[in-house]
Amino acid sequence: MVFTDAMRAIAHKELSDKLKSRWVIVIGSGFALFTLVISYFGGAPAGVTGFMSLDATIASLTSLVTYFIPILALTLGGGIIADEQEKGTLGIYLASPISVGEFIIGKFTGLVIALVLSIVAGLGVAGIMLFFRTGTEAVGTFLVFIINSVLLGVTFLSVSFLISIIFYERTKVIALTICIWLLFTILYDLGLIGLLIVTKGSIGTEAFSMLLLLNPVDIYRILNFISIGEFQVLIGLASVEFPAYIRTSMLWGISMIWIIAPLGISYYYFKKRYLE
Amino acid sequence: MILKLQDISKSYEQIKAVEMVSLEIKEGEAMGLVGPNGSGKSTLLKIMLGIIRPSAGKVLVNGEVLSEKGWKEFKRSVGYMPERVSFYDNLTGNETLKLFARVKGGSLSNMKDVIGRLLSEDVLHRKVGGYSKGMRQRLNLAQALVNEPRFLVLDEPTSGLDPVGTREFYDILDEVRERKKLTVVLSSHILAEIEEKIDRVAVMKNGSLKAVGRLEELCEGMNIPLRIYLTIHGKDELLEGLLMREGAVDIGYKNGYLLASIPRGNKLELISAIMEEKDRFSDLSIREPSLEEVFFGLH
Repeated sequence: MVFTDAMRAIAHKELSDKLKSRWVIVIGSGFALFTLVISYFGGAPAGVTGFMSLDATIASLTSLVTYFIPILALTLGGGIIADEQEKGTLGIYLASPISVGEFIIGKFTGLVIALVLSIVAGLGVAGIMLFFRTGTEAVGTFLVFIINSVLLGVTFLSVSFLISIIFYERTKVIALTICIWLLFTILYDLGLIGLLIVTKGSIGTEAFSMLLLLNPVDIYRILNFISIGEFQVLIGLASVEFPAYIRTSMLWGISMIWIIAPLGISYYYFKKRYLE
Repeated sequence: MILKLQDISKSYEQIKAVEMVSLEIKEGEAMGLVGPNGSGKSTLLKIMLGIIRPSAGKVLVNGEVLSEKGWKEFKRSVGYMPERVSFYDNLTGNETLKLFARVKGGSLSNMKDVIGRLLSEDVLHRKVGGYSKGMRQRLNLAQALVNEPRFLVLDEPTSGLDPVGTREFYDILDEVRERKKLTVVLSSHILAEIEEKIDRVAVMKNGSLKAVGRLEELCEGMNIPLRIYLTIHGKDELLEGLLMREGAVDIGYKNGYLLASIPRGNKLELISAIMEEKDRFSDLSIREPSLEEVFFGLH
């Protein structure tokens, strides 16, 4: 699909909304502050403070990002339809010579850019600290960590679009957003632990790994697990041995499916609601 | 461009919003769509605009059923002013119009004169958050015009405006319509307000079309009586008897007038009979029924 001027206009409006409301600055600064504190005190449980090694920093930041970015992304996209509906502008868009795809992709693009700016600004602070301590060696690994974090954020942004388009009403969207966040960040893993206990571990590594791959938060943890090696224990995946075919490229591919599938279903629902 | 709705129905689960509506809108005409709240006006407008698809029936533009591509093309020539739009508080009027001009593939420079008539430069550069209701309605009309439409659809355009704001709004609409030779569809439940702005009227109730036509045709077709006003002092039993003999009904007194409803066919006979007693009253006027009376006559 060609990125039309109408899509650029919609994307620009979404982005400038977030810039003007200082959403990007507030979230980015908050993220940077948390990142610095965690980077500095992340080793405190082991009796060490100060900026840690790259692996330890990523392990600590993974815990932060796992909870913080999904809720951020879910709230960012949750109001896309309700807001336009409440302002009465949705009808204007729908009566305009743009397709449903142009409308959704335009909005999505603007919010992705706002989200990426916040994530890069927030995590970038820790990246700069690491650069001064470890030199260029750490830059590549840390960039991969930022890409993983962006993928996690965009995944949940896409999920938030789906929730917003199916459920419309703001209260329903907010309630479901919180449920989805709880499910993926906490309940899903608790369920897996429960499954291990009930089956006394007989479920097997292969099946367990597959179940992990169904949760984008776990995919994010595994991606970082692969990149930092010895600090897996801090991510909570120390006892899992993944099959050899689980590689970064495959996990990025699954993340892309997690991004594209909700957007595709959003398109289908939106079109069905109005144009069929 | 001729827009034709053919046997249009729209249902939402068990609720029938529009039922078997057929309507043709001719190029250059102003069509009024009237009916009480919930009569299906807004749903019908959205079907005309391709915002929602009908459950049954066809929308034809220049005799053709539109494909997906055809709808996109048709929408390039459409301006839509939805009811009650608050817009984005953090954007200026100018930024709002630029946004919708880009979305619709239009250009602000082509419509500068019309936009200038609707909103001053000063207002355009202020945030919409500080706009009054009237300014927002003008901005709403301006956004509907940014793509230089040939077909303009206005859904309850003066809802919430005071009488002065309403009059100003229609003055501007008249001017724009005249200059741009627009085809206009205008919905309202305030019937008297659009009476003089439209060429034809379509009356809706409970999702169905009750009548379509020129106001005079509708009045004649329904044989709605005319109303006669005689300016007199006190009561006059002789005039009352005369009116009764000529078939007048609903005879009464109000604010110095002797009022009566007279059958259309008896108009000339009644006037000549009354004129023989012209010393008994100081003035006479005969009024056509208002759109409101036509509308309620149908219900």
